[in-house]
Amino acid sequence: MIGRVLIANRGEIAVRILRACRSMGLEAVVAYSEADAESRAVRMADEAICIGPAESARSYLSAASLISAALVSGCDAIHPGYGFLSEDDGFAEMTRAHDLTFIGPSAEVLERFASKAGTRELLAAHGLPMVPGSAGMLRDDAHALEEAERLGFPLLIKPSAGGGGKGMRMARTSRELQQALTVCRSEARAAFGDDSLYLEKWLDRTRHVEVQVIIDSYGHGVHLGERDCSVQRRHQKIIEEAPSPAIDDPTRTELAESAVRAAVAAGYRNVGTLEFLVDGEGNYFFIEINARIQVEHPVTEMLSGVDIVAEQIRLAGGEELGYGQDAVRLRGHAIEFRINAEDVRADFRPQAGTVEHYVPPGGADVRMETHLYGGYEVPPYYDSLLGKLIVWGPDRQAAIARSRVALRELVVEGVATNIDLHRALLEDETFLSGGFDTNLLDRKGAAAFLAAADTDQGA
Amino acid sequence: MTDEAAPRDDAGAGPEDAMGVESLTGEVLPALIARLRAGRLGELEVRTADWRVRLRRDPAARVRGSSASVASAAPAVEAAPATSVARSPAVGYFSPAPQLTVGLSVSAGDVLGTIDVLGIAQEVVTPADGIVVSILAEDGQAVEYGQALADIDPLGMDLAVSDVPGQAGA
Repeated sequence: MIGRVLIANRGEIAVRILRACRSMGLEAVVAYSEADAESRAVRMADEAICIGPAESARSYLSAASLISAALVSGCDAIHPGYGFLSEDDGFAEMTRAHDLTFIGPSAEVLERFASKAGTRELLAAHGLPMVPGSAGMLRDDAHALEEAERLGFPLLIKPSAGGGGKGMRMARTSRELQQALTVCRSEARAAFGDDSLYLEKWLDRTRHVEVQVIIDSYGHGVHLGERDCSVQRRHQKIIEEAPSPAIDDPTRTELAESAVRAAVAAGYRNVGTLEFLVDGEGNYFFIEINARIQVEHPVTEMLSGVDIVAEQIRLAGGEELGYGQDAVRLRGHAIEFRINAEDVRADFRPQAGTVEHYVPPGGADVRMETHLYGGYEVPPYYDSLLGKLIVWGPDRQAAIARSRVALRELVVEGVATNIDLHRALLEDETFLSGGFDTNLLDRKGAAAFLAAADTDQGA
Repeated sequence: MTDEAAPRDDAGAGPEDAMGVESLTGEVLPALIARLRAGRLGELEVRTADWRVRLRRDPAARVRGSSASVASAAPAVEAAPATSVARSPAVGYFSPAPQLTVGLSVSAGDVLGTIDVLGIAQEVVTPADGIVVSILAEDGQAVEYGQALADIDPLGMDLAVSDVPGQAGA
């Protein structure tokens, strides 16, 4: 049983985890870097402990500091949040070695799903369709060319380790492939210390759809439906919604059921997300699993009423799931807008500085997950996520209407944000029709969306 | 070093002397340092029956802060040098170095103790030369990163403590 949790993360997710702990009657201690001494989670917390300087490598990425902080503050569990050490099997193992509970999958599970290529093989064996790709890792250039001939161009070269687009390149011809292999190898080696690569067929005009699963340590699992995260900028999600407007109900059910079935069979445990690409015909292909809580989890919470962070903690403590799929009811439509400190007009450059004025939106079914407050100083050291606005409605149209109202109310002054871009996206025909793909924003350009919205308002 | 046959030697430290040194370093010195810092005196000397202590400001330290404004007509109000703080380099359990006591004279880089981080000791070092004027954590105490563990008065002073010749043997 878990009684006292060290929150080993920052920003909005630290606030989210703190709330979950409190609602469960658990004590929580917020671990923070010097740069986050004035953050909202620290201010809200009954207890907080400084773990290191601003530099992540010496604070939020320092396994020894986090575990030491948990021990000296009398915690019996660590919640890693997302990013940082959340999917690090070494950290999970070290946590357990100090008799602390890691809130997430066990070290063995994390290790099993650490390699993207290995995960693909494992889940393919349990029935999930894969994007056509190379058989295993590329041995050398000759092997890569041979596999490329078999699959056909265009192709995507991907590193086995890591993510975030590093070491990833598209190749249209064998000449481009040969050139890109060298670059990808060195990028992958530099970023992840592992230069093994594989090939994947490039699917044009796809959507990003993911399935939320919750599986206890005894192999009982449910899915909470899917989320559509197709509004992206350079592979970074900006808007997420559920249900996906791109798939029909039979496909929806089949996708979610096959995802949870495969995850259970492959030995995945705790809360996780299986990510898929969906093509124009409704065919879905597994791409990767996220073995942690995700930024966009509240979208699913709005539909299901399930507190996913609380479930994560409960299951990590060894409890049984205690309900089956028939108990899961998904109602209505929810949309999440990521509010980032970035200057959309200056190539989305991340911003730091003081938030002079902050007014959250309100009203029924409007939820704001953030660490913002008036006077908060956004530090320059971490990612640009300031918060998430999540809006629910009985259907997509109603959710969009309420989102417009909420985004109009939301005020963040002093630091440039992408709020205007969200407002503009909600006026875009393609977004409103639901028929967009992951390249919507990159193809048209943010400036075009903003200009279109300005014209509408002026008219 | 101590010659048993000559306990009254200058280098000797009998029980009474030890008591004297204790009160000297624990109470008298910090008080004197504070007095010297607050005021405008350049030198302070105190004598008792057993010992004599002389504190003198380092003249270089006194002008260091104002060297950039030599031509300024403003009166040279001398700011007392701020106390330096030895801070914890990590989150863990503090163990003070055996010699760490109030009144200890230290040089920048000296190790004042360690922080036990999962069994690995990380050194607490003093950031400045000076005298330890207060110790802010106990042996075995849980401390966080950056926590103040000891105040170091950077002095800008010379310190001379000596037995008073002749008195000791009386």
